[in-house]
Order: sequence, then C-alpha cells, then structure tokens
Amino acid sequence: MTWPPALQEVIDEFSEIEDAMERLEVLMDFAEEVDELSEEEWSDENLVKGCQSRAHVVLEKRDNTIWMRAAADSKMVQGLMGILTIAVNGGTVEQVLELTPDFVLEMKVLNTLTPSRSNGFRTMFDMIQKTVKEMK
Amino acid sequence: MSIRDDFPILNRKVNGESLVYLDNAATTQKPQIVITAMNDYYQNSNANVHRAVHTLAGEATEGYEACRNELKNWFNAGRVIITSGTTESINLVAHAWARANLVAGDAVILTEMEHHSDIVPWQLLAQDIGIELRFVSLNEDLTLDLDAFEASLVGAKLVACVHTSNVLGIRNPIEKIIKMSHANGAKVLLDSAQAVPHEKIDFKDLDADFLACSAHKMCGPTGIGCLLVKEDSFNQMQPFMGGGDMIQTVTISGSTYQENEHKFEAGTPRIAEGVGWAAALKWLSKIDLHSEHLRLLEIARWTAQQIKDIPGMTVFGRHADGDSAVVSFIHDSVHPEDMARLLDARGIAIRTGHHCAQPLMQRLGVEGTMRVSFYLYNNQAEAELLIETMKGIVERFS
Repeated sequence: MTWPPALQEVIDEFSEIEDAMERLEVLMDFAEEVDELSEEEWSDENLVKGCQSRAHVVLEKRDNTIWMRAAADSKMVQGLMGILTIAVNGGTVEQVLELTPDFVLEMKVLNTLTPSRSNGFRTMFDMIQKTVKEMK
Repeated sequence: MSIRDDFPILNRKVNGESLVYLDNAATTQKPQIVITAMNDYYQNSNANVHRAVHTLAGEATEGYEACRNELKNWFNAGRVIITSGTTESINLVAHAWARANLVAGDAVILTEMEHHSDIVPWQLLAQDIGIELRFVSLNEDLTLDLDAFEASLVGAKLVACVHTSNVLGIRNPIEKIIKMSHANGAKVLLDSAQAVPHEKIDFKDLDADFLACSAHKMCGPTGIGCLLVKEDSFNQMQPFMGGGDMIQTVTISGSTYQENEHKFEAGTPRIAEGVGWAAALKWLSKIDLHSEHLRLLEIARWTAQQIKDIPGMTVFGRHADGDSAVVSFIHDSVHPEDMARLLDARGIAIRTGHHCAQPLMQRLGVEGTMRVSFYLYNNQAEAELLIETMKGIVERFS
C-alpha cells in the first residue's frame, strides 16, 4: 500500500534500525508527537476499551479534516498514538478510512495485528476509523 | 542429557537473542516426545474413536483412552472426564452438577484470588437459577482469610477455590479448606491449573470432590484438560452437552446415556491432544517433580528479592514452601506493557496484564502486573539475565 508521505518517512526511519530495543526506544520518542489530552479528558467516554494500558483518544473534524489528540500511561502505546497522529492529522475522512493498520508491522514495532487484549493498537486503530466513519 | 535438551523450541532465537521463556504460568513448552507422539498419531493412526472396528480406529481409541488411564494413575483418581481444559471443567461442574443439585438461595463460596474461569461460570449460574455467591477476602499478606472462609461456610453447598494462584503463586491450604468444607456439608471444586505442574496430587487422598486442570500447563498440548470427580458426585451429575459418543440409544421419543465418563464427552474428542498428553505424563513421570519444584521456588525467591532491590519495584506474593515459582510485580514508572516489549527485544518472554484475575487486581489496587513464571527447563542463569536486563531498562527508561 502507498502510505501518506509523512507516515512513509516514519516507516523508513524504523526500517533503518536493526536492534529491536533501539526500535522500541525510538517508538517511545514518538510519544512526544501526540497532542496531549487534559486531565479531564482521561474519561471513560474517551477510553480505548480492551487495551492493557489506559489509553484515551479524542477525534475532531475541522473543515473536513480529522485531528486526533491522545494520551496513554504506557510510553509505547503513546508512541503508537504519536505515529497514528502523524498518519491521521490533517487527513480527510476518506484518507483516514483508507489507512490500514499494517504499517506497524512494516515498522517492526508490533508482531501481531489480531484484535486481542494484548493488542491495544488494533483496538485503537479500529476505534478511530469507526469514529471517523460516523463523522462522514 | 538435561531437561532443556528435550525442548526444541529453546533453541530458537527471538530478536536475535536466545529465547528465555518465563511465561510458564500461561502455558509451558512441549518436549520433543509430545510433538513426536502427536505427529505420529496423525501420520499413522488418525481415525475417529469408540465407533469403527477398523485397525486405525482401534489404534486411535487405544491412544486416546491411554490418556485417561495415564491420568487415573497420575492422579490416583477413579473418574476422569476429559475436557478442553480447566475452564470447560469448571463450567461442566456448574452445568452438570450444580444446576442439577443446587436451588435458588444455595450458596457457592469463591475467593478474591480466583481466575475469571472460576468466577464467571458461577455468575452466569447465579443469574440463571438464583444461587448466592460469597467471595472470601484475603489477609494483608494476600493469603486467604480462613476465619472469613469459615464464617462464609454456613449454608454453603459448594466451595470453588483456586488451588494455587496464577498471579501470586500462593498455594491455598486446600487440605484444611476441604476438611472445613466437608464438615459444613459443602463439596469442594479445586481449580488446580497452576498446581498440577508443580506438585503430584493424589486425588483420593486429597478427598476433594472435583478437581479441574489443563494439559498445557504441564508440558502437554493446548485444548485438552480434565475434571476429576469423586464417585458420589459423579453419580449426581446430569448430562450437559448432548451429541454423539455420550449416548447409549437415541430414538425420536428420547435418549439414554452412557454411564461412564463418555456421558460428559459429547462429540469427537481431542484425540491427538490425548495422545500428546499421555506422552507428556510419561515424560513427567521420569522427573522428580518435588525436587524440581524446590529448585524453581529457590530461583523465584532469588528473583523476587532482586526485583525488590530495583528502585521503584513492588513485588506481590510471599514465595513460601509449596507456592509456585511465580513472581508478580509492578514498577512505579515503567508500564508493564513497555517492560514486556523491551524484554522481548532481548528474547525474554514475560506476561503482563490482569492475568484473568481482575477482582484480585482490584484487591491489589493495580490495573495489571508483570509476571515471570519458571518451569522445569528454566535455570538460575536465565533469572540473572532477566534481572540484569530489567535493571538496564529501569535505569534507561524510568
């Protein structure tokens, strides 16, 4: 699949890292990329259900473009949110719905995409697309 | 030959590093003899059991029923119902025994340290027939509060209790629990999933009414387990799942059922898995489980102490004699999921999350823990590598 240029850049960055722990360290650096939520927004309403960590996502549509803000108590989950932010923010509804979650496999930061208790990313990705679909 | 040599999976690399598998409370690895037995069954003897007269059917039946015989010998048990695992075994007690023998208002006793598989079946039954559930609390040191347990027994018909906690490794005083329950007229169901890998259980001597366990926690295949049942309780059980293999005759006006364990084993059973489990039991019987247990507990004690010495760490559990070799812990700034992924980057497999024991997590005041669990093929060097790697992670990321 062809990824949005900003996301492709991130994929390329990860593909240059050979050491698995270094890859995760870089993933945690992406935690800085999220537009963080305020304390009040760490609410049940914004909770990503079925995630091992406490993860919250808020989505907004402005001028037909999608903007996400997010936060998690796991640095790696927030790092994944940071990458999602790069993939999603400023994109149209259609562009966000075209995304598939397998870029994290390409980056080798996750080893499975099957929705499960151990895979909050997939749950989060599906939740974002479902919410964006409703914004159509 | 060391025990490790029997496990081909231990030769693999994970992220370029030698695998250090410390998630044995979730599932254990399989020795070559189990893999070979299952392969051999599919390559040479695959057929359905209990029905056809041809050679392959005879071999398959012998192979599958050999598992039941091995289990009867291993546990010194009279009745062994083969199930898909501990979860199905507990559900079987709920549906086949409790539904037929309990009425609205009868009490079932559970504890705060139960796995979800010993909570949810009882909640479903409570909704259905109105039984009362009573949860026994824990002491400060996270052991079961036996005074609270005794008080809860008044009017109880069944005690469904975890033998050894999957989170804390704490072994409950089940001998005492069984005596106290029976003195009060309550039957006892033990969830022994975490106990059977670490201790040789004599079911008749133990005197429990039901005991549930899984093969995959003791080097056997996934998808198979059993329920041991005392004869009088077995005779009180009514068929739960209907289908082939569990009947004597079926007419359009009704059916009659098998009288042995097959009555509760409708449908084609897990034949290859039965063959594999029998092989696992044979393999385990050559190992001195008690001395291995003591060795693993020493590693767990050492690990727990080392983790406590890492700044920001809290360890749960006491690691007393008889407890399983499990260490659960949290760090005040490194999230369990992050720790587990970072350790995986170095080939070390540990478990994180609520371990299917959310009420216990609520009691501990945490959302989840990290958990390392040791088994027969683990050694002190692996524990040392775990500690060294975790220290590095905490220094770098907290």
